[in-house]
Amino acid sequence: MRWGPAGPHPITPYTTHIIDQKDLVPDPRPSILATTGIAKNYGPVVALRSVDLVVEPGEIHALLGANGAGKSTFVKVLSGVIGRDAGTASIDGRPIDFRLPSDASEAGIATVYQDPALIPDLSLDQNLVISGLRRADVEPWLERLELGGFDFGLLARDVPLATLRLIDLARALALDPRLLMLDEITAALTPEQADLVFDVTREWKAMNRSVLFISHRLGEVLSICDTATILRNGRDVANFSLEGVDETELVAAMLGDVLAEAAPAAESDATLVSAVTDDSAVVLEARDLHFRDKINGMSLALRRGEVLGLTALEGQGQDELFSLLSGDHRPTTGEILVNGEPLGARSPYNAIRRGLVFVPADRQEALLPQRSVRENLSLPLYNRFARWFGLRRDEGTRVGDAIARLDIDTRAASQVRRLSGGNRQKVTIGRWLIEDFDVLLCFDPTRGIDIQTKAQIYDLLREVAANGAAVLIYSSELREIPLVCDRVLVMYDGAVVHEQAAATATEEVLLTAAHGLGMVGS
Amino acid sequence: MTTTSAPEAAPRSDLWRRWIQRHGWTVGIWLLLVVLVVWYTTLIPRFGSFQAATILTGGTAWIFLGIAQAVVVIAGGLDLGVGGMLVLSSVTAARFMEGQPFGVVVLIAIAIILAAAVLNGIVGWIITVSKIPDIVVTLGSLYIYQGIALMVLPKVGGGTTGTFRWLFTGSENGIGANPWPALVVITIPVIVVGWWMARTRTGLSLYAVGSDAEAAFLSGVRDARTKIIAFAVAGALAALAGFSSVSISGVGNPTTDGGVLTLNAVAAIVLGGVALTGGIGSVLAVVPAALILFFFNPILSALGVDPNRAQVIQGILIVLVMMVAGILEWRRIRRS
Repeated sequence: MRWGPAGPHPITPYTTHIIDQKDLVPDPRPSILATTGIAKNYGPVVALRSVDLVVEPGEIHALLGANGAGKSTFVKVLSGVIGRDAGTASIDGRPIDFRLPSDASEAGIATVYQDPALIPDLSLDQNLVISGLRRADVEPWLERLELGGFDFGLLARDVPLATLRLIDLARALALDPRLLMLDEITAALTPEQADLVFDVTREWKAMNRSVLFISHRLGEVLSICDTATILRNGRDVANFSLEGVDETELVAAMLGDVLAEAAPAAESDATLVSAVTDDSAVVLEARDLHFRDKINGMSLALRRGEVLGLTALEGQGQDELFSLLSGDHRPTTGEILVNGEPLGARSPYNAIRRGLVFVPADRQEALLPQRSVRENLSLPLYNRFARWFGLRRDEGTRVGDAIARLDIDTRAASQVRRLSGGNRQKVTIGRWLIEDFDVLLCFDPTRGIDIQTKAQIYDLLREVAANGAAVLIYSSELREIPLVCDRVLVMYDGAVVHEQAAATATEEVLLTAAHGLGMVGS
Repeated sequence: MTTTSAPEAAPRSDLWRRWIQRHGWTVGIWLLLVVLVVWYTTLIPRFGSFQAATILTGGTAWIFLGIAQAVVVIAGGLDLGVGGMLVLSSVTAARFMEGQPFGVVVLIAIAIILAAAVLNGIVGWIITVSKIPDIVVTLGSLYIYQGIALMVLPKVGGGTTGTFRWLFTGSENGIGANPWPALVVITIPVIVVGWWMARTRTGLSLYAVGSDAEAAFLSGVRDARTKIIAFAVAGALAALAGFSSVSISGVGNPTTDGGVLTLNAVAAIVLGGVALTGGIGSVLAVVPAALILFFFNPILSALGVDPNRAQVIQGILIVLVMMVAGILEWRRIRRS
């Protein structure tokens, strides 16, 4: 059944027959969502131990926690994607037992999951049909998200990720849910698009509906959420109003005991020791690259020991640049030089042989999800003829060292797909520590990862540079540039429009340049 | 605030280009069929309605079996049992239809179609519940169908009525110069299945499950049910293929090798542009592909090729056509 617009006293099945006023008074307005003791295990891995959560009507409720704390699992349990092992849940005081996503949407929960839930081989229209919606249902919401008149004949695979996320949101809103759950929706969005999402959630709140909001961006959590529940190791450890709370306090609450050692924040850039000097050899150089209409005269030079940051708004050619550098495609014109010699790669294999290794944003793309952590880490070692007849003898120790250094949670070591996002990312970076390389190419390596793991990844990248390799890192999170980079480039429309030392690069400067507005006086 | 990120609805010329891009394979394979037919007419002394009827009639079972396989493969599965179901359906029809009035024959035909759908639906259910790979379970169902066929009709025999044979072959003797009934019998199921798969929620769910089962589940598609439906539809279509077979020969033959028929169906869907990985393809392209494969034999014999070498040439041709198609696809991806 669909729920109509909620008044201040939403009608629940218990109050459909209003007998007299007395019956209503002791029955306070039920919470939109109330859960107790939700638990879920994946084999030996405990994802949720016990989560109690209450979401009131007209509330935007933040669900916070480090990677692997259980946020996504909790959302999936509530939306009927995975079954729970224990615990109870109710919507508007009505107990629920979801077995399928359709049960959840009928009960009034709609979810925008961490990954787009659109079928790549179907057009957007057809995608609406399979979820039982018509274009007219989503159109008003698309207008609100400034996607009015969008071409729905396109295949989902041809639509940019950010747009897919917004369409996912419009589809969820069109179900007219009592509770909207947004899992990392802003991760792939531009700041303007994120603002539109915030406007819509506020509007939703004004209609006395509720939102469960998951994000790693604490700034946006503070600006739109009313209350927060913090998960740690599958348990709800804190629940408080966000009134008057600042980011530091929020971080403190999320990190709990480990706060002291992990707080990376702004002060750590003081300890950033650069390993690059003016006479360090240039290890990777790109000269006037052109590629389709995405890269228009891109040049860069990367020295040994340097961590070079690259940032841009979405779709400015950064994806294509990385696919050229990693050997996946060849430039239309222009040259890529590695240690002064043309790259000439026909496939990533050639690029890897030349010492260019790539950590993609999509961790699934780089890993063998069903194989063990150990196998995934030693994958680059399999790639030499001499090793067809057996790996070299020190494989075991090298892999063991990497696991220890990366602090990879090996409870789920047998299958990489059971690891949390942060641990998966550590595996994708960690595998390259086993082989020698000259340049590490990282595409948004910390997207959707908790602060503590981020700090570990920053340390790792600095260490890689200190050992004489070079790192090129694309990041959509402007704040992390000064934390990890020596120098930063800003890309706009397929070329570099701005360059400066990372230590002095403020968010404001980078954002202005990223919009192609240019710097006054430079 | 306005945004430039949302492309407006595409102009007409772009829509046309997109249609060609998306249905290029279907158009290409129909053109290939036309070219082959035209070529064939120059190879033989006379090409008339008798030849047309022979090709359409003989191709009917290939088409139905190809569509049956396409439905399952698009939904991310594989059904090796369709050939066995053809045999089972044809011998059951031959055993029970012989000597019956046309009305009873039609009832028997409907019963066989329904039973085939249920039986193959159960196969789909076993796959979704047990999580045993399709290829294993349907290898089993292939043998089982073939075995039941031997129980129903231990040796070549039985028969059906003339009217029923006319429906599938245009002649009460199974061979004639009237291609129209076969054309109608092919067209109706093709249009129904094609419309179902391209326009309805359940039909599109087949694509969804085959393309990205996880995302489909999150979108509210019931993946197990969708797969069971795909197998049931495949069973029904294989039963239709069996009717065509019994109409041509006039008897049921339980020793027909269903495995070979299944593999022909797989070749037809591959040639028809259905991705074996699921989620991509159209039954409208499988129709000409199945006809082309059936057509290889008459063409090779018209060319005077030794029948013993014909199979080798047939195999090489399939691979060559697929390579050309693959190169075209690769160029398209590079250009875009």
